[in-house]
Amino acid sequence: MSRHAAVREARPAKPSQGDAALRIDPAICDGVGICAHLAADLITVDSWGYPILRAEPLRSGSERRQAEAAVAACPRKALHITT
Amino acid sequence: MSPHLHLVDGPATTVTTMLLDGAAVVPRHGTESLTGVEAHDLAAHRATFGTRRSCVGHAGQDLLEAIDHVHLTGRGGGHFPTAAKWRSILVHGAGATVVANGAEGEPAAAKDAVLLQTRPHLVLDGLVAAMEVVGSSDGVVWLHDGAWASARSISRALEERAAAGVADPPIRVVLAPDRYLSGEATGIIRTLEGGPTLPRYVDDPSRPWSVGSTPVLVNNVETLARVGLLATGDVAGYTPTSLLTVVSKSHRVVLEVGAATTFGEVVERAWTSPDRRPPQAVLLGGYGGSWVAWDKIRDLHVDSDELRGAGLSVGAGLVGPLPSTSCGLEESARVMRYMAGQSARQCGPCVFGLASVADLASDLSAGRLTPIGRRKLGRFMGEISGRGACRHPDGALRMLSSALVVFGDDVRHHRRGRTCDAPTYAILPVPGEE
Repeated sequence: MSRHAAVREARPAKPSQGDAALRIDPAICDGVGICAHLAADLITVDSWGYPILRAEPLRSGSERRQAEAAVAACPRKALHITT
Repeated sequence: MSPHLHLVDGPATTVTTMLLDGAAVVPRHGTESLTGVEAHDLAAHRATFGTRRSCVGHAGQDLLEAIDHVHLTGRGGGHFPTAAKWRSILVHGAGATVVANGAEGEPAAAKDAVLLQTRPHLVLDGLVAAMEVVGSSDGVVWLHDGAWASARSISRALEERAAAGVADPPIRVVLAPDRYLSGEATGIIRTLEGGPTLPRYVDDPSRPWSVGSTPVLVNNVETLARVGLLATGDVAGYTPTSLLTVVSKSHRVVLEVGAATTFGEVVERAWTSPDRRPPQAVLLGGYGGSWVAWDKIRDLHVDSDELRGAGLSVGAGLVGPLPSTSCGLEESARVMRYMAGQSARQCGPCVFGLASVADLASDLSAGRLTPIGRRKLGRFMGEISGRGACRHPDGALRMLSSALVVFGDDVRHHRRGRTCDAPTYAILPVPGEE
């Protein structure tokens, strides 16, 4: 990892976003997977097609919009944004 | 039943007993018959422990302070302070349901069953004390289906108290399905709200009940038995101890030890070695606990602070020594398969992930894990971690991860396509195996 990358990683969340974070109820999720397409910066999928959410809070307006799109699109209503 | 027990003439250590007097011997499977500890009726209970003081009003604050003073914590492995848990319920006002959790899902553990069957009044005293402190008029003793001896013991104790004019608030006995996860707190709460006995995802673990529902306080029966001791008012006489279940091939021993006791002494006192040699490792805590090499655990004390420093926990109190002639990978694969089968089948990473990991662990134990399988095992374990609604998958992975380290030599041996041909197998009991 370059020094620049390290500095970028260490930068704290923008205060305007508070500590809002995308969360999942894994007991409801059926692994449909739309969320991973709509929020590619926040969600990857595991070996069985279930979403893995980044743990850190939402850091930008773009991430916020991705999270909201994923929440709205989930057919199981398994995603939500916490504050 | 156990001619090789050396409970009396073991090493000259100080035997600390707060809850039990002696050690109980229970069969390998089930807890319907136990010997070694005299069951207390109400008279014996009062003669031994004294009479519980009222915990209403200011007396409740005194009890909370006493619980703080002795650092009483939950038994879930997280060691959450009991007094803090009660205070977080008090914030919501009176009217909570209080649960004495005796659904000991851990198949090898029997300490809760021993308490329920021999110290029912101590557990009930603790439950009633908790109810008085948080202002509850709904007490629940939560047991699992099939724990008939425990259910009988509690029912008999409740009748005895009513006949003796003990002014207990209402207490009901509720039976849960006989599964590994039946004692999981969110599943208990979900059941009391009219739902299935399955764990539930909660954003805020300090508030696990549904919006608009009655707050629920869940405490393990061992925690409540300790509250029962403190509720007699003898706080100065209280010594922190641990209840452990030591598993041998033919039987189990439940014993109580103080923090000055080492695991070496525990094993010497309560374990029957099949070959007169010490074990090669011990599974500590439960099937979601950790394997620890014998030379590491032998000199550790049964002291929660010391264990935490070593990254370990007494957890559900399981001490599972692995004989020198057994294969740790074989045992771990068996336990892993059981844990995968006990998934609540709600969360994808647990349903599919644990099953895949169990298959690969079996391949490893059978000496047929391919290099691709090896990489898969590492990737799967990383992907599953922390992703269930409850901690079931994390516990199962903790057990397997520790096995891969502690039995590292065996891992290399098995990777060359060999097996151990271990003469002593199936050490840890798994329901339905016999």
